[in-house]
Amino acid sequence: MNELTRMTLAAAREGLRAKEFSARELARAHIDAIEAARGLNAFITETPERALEMAAESDRRLARGEARPLEGIPLAIKDLFCTAGIRTTAGSRILESFVPPYESTVSANLWRAGAVLLGKTNLDEFAMGSSNVTSFFGPAINPWTESGAEAPRVPGGSSGGSAAAVAAELCLGATGTDTGGSIRQPASLCGIVGMKPTYGRCSRFGIVAFASSLDQAGPLTRTVRDCALLLQQMAGYDPNDSTSADVALPDLEATLTGDVRGLKVGIPNEYRIEGSPPEIEALWRQGEAWLRAAGCELQPVSLAHSRYALPAYYIVNPAEASSNLARYDGMRYGLRVEGEDLIDTYAKTRAQGFGREVRRRVMIGTYVLSAGYYDAYYLKAQKVRTKILDEFKAAFERVDLLLTPSTPSAAFRIGDKMDDPVAMWLNDVFTVPANLAGLPGISVPAGLSADGLPLGLQLIGRPFDEATVLRAAAVLEEAAGIEARPPFLRRGAPQ
Amino acid sequence: MTSVIAMRLPWREDRVTDGGRPEDILGNAPERQDDYFVVPKVVE
Repeated sequence: MNELTRMTLAAAREGLRAKEFSARELARAHIDAIEAARGLNAFITETPERALEMAAESDRRLARGEARPLEGIPLAIKDLFCTAGIRTTAGSRILESFVPPYESTVSANLWRAGAVLLGKTNLDEFAMGSSNVTSFFGPAINPWTESGAEAPRVPGGSSGGSAAAVAAELCLGATGTDTGGSIRQPASLCGIVGMKPTYGRCSRFGIVAFASSLDQAGPLTRTVRDCALLLQQMAGYDPNDSTSADVALPDLEATLTGDVRGLKVGIPNEYRIEGSPPEIEALWRQGEAWLRAAGCELQPVSLAHSRYALPAYYIVNPAEASSNLARYDGMRYGLRVEGEDLIDTYAKTRAQGFGREVRRRVMIGTYVLSAGYYDAYYLKAQKVRTKILDEFKAAFERVDLLLTPSTPSAAFRIGDKMDDPVAMWLNDVFTVPANLAGLPGISVPAGLSADGLPLGLQLIGRPFDEATVLRAAAVLEEAAGIEARPPFLRRGAPQ
Repeated sequence: MTSVIAMRLPWREDRVTDGGRPEDILGNAPERQDDYFVVPKVVE
């Protein structure tokens, strides 16, 4: 809403070091913006006092010339990351009053780097959704609206509050988690950058578990450079997560050279889906042209098993979710609804504590894992997953990156697709394969739909090659040169 | 498939690395008595 909230994370870092403004002024500007934007419902919990305390510490360090990498940078944290002493809900009634006694590794890394906590952002319940509509705390709202119309649009999900907050300039960056597209899909729908790193890059310790073999944390920012700066601090090996990867991360900002000459970029033909709007196809062609003009070599690749990615995902995902969510039994933490006996207490607690989508996935998950069906569903899905992974490996022997659309459509209206869970699940058709294969993927704002809503393009890279993904993403960003800002910033939240 | 990323599960010494924090553990309990969770009766 003003100069301090409008700037990029990279610019704020320079401004703080040059003493053009203080960390407290920067935090205050964002706190005011958040208060003025409550109509977007982007935050579940605001932490203005904590923000000002942390900013004061940043100002002391800046004064001493001891600035850490993200000193004084105000961030929003998806309410799926445990924050010590600050309520963490996962967007669910069952954790409505849960206050973690410990901090997630990713958020701890950010505080150690000097970042400032503004609050905890809204999300689909337990990150299960593509619209933010399943949140117990009500939907977050996209700051973008169709040109000439006010009907509120979804910000995407599950990291919908984080995406809306970044797009509406309520924070300089936010964390998200991506199980099947939950960072890249909302980033695309809100016209911002969102990256899911390689599985294992960011520790899952202290992130409320959803589907453990697919979950990965990542940044949401307004520029690719900011994305690199944030990921640099979020990532890192953590002995508290046995799947955390002990693989060195290069200086990501330094790899943004703008030089992509000779990079081989594959176009997976199977990602062309029927019924997708022509503007998605046109944007994809445009992305190819931009990369070709920058010196990349484009070539078709085949990922024939992609058509089985979504069906396999919607077996693996609920199976792991049902196992993870078995811990919410009302005994040690979270909501307890007293029943006649223990079994009745379990049943009432879960029936009242979980929303519809969560109950649906727990039911599907327990079904596909049950004796007699395990081989037919779960085991088969795991085999399909191996096929998909093998195909990606083969593709990456010939190309360095893959270019695809991020989403099959622009942001839809709040309330649409609610009666058809499968239509909702189809939102993730382009993003799910990277989760199944553990690969890094990014969504970059690349254009606007005919209705004036943002559309993103996705780049997928080799495992642990976030650097190349970011380097090419910055070239796409530069070529797209999008100047448009969300209508919210001119006229407030849609009604 | 056991893991999407080719890596071996790390090993560490089998020893206690954390604990002795009953207030942290019980702080969110729906019902507690001293250092115990109170649960519905499960024996007849």
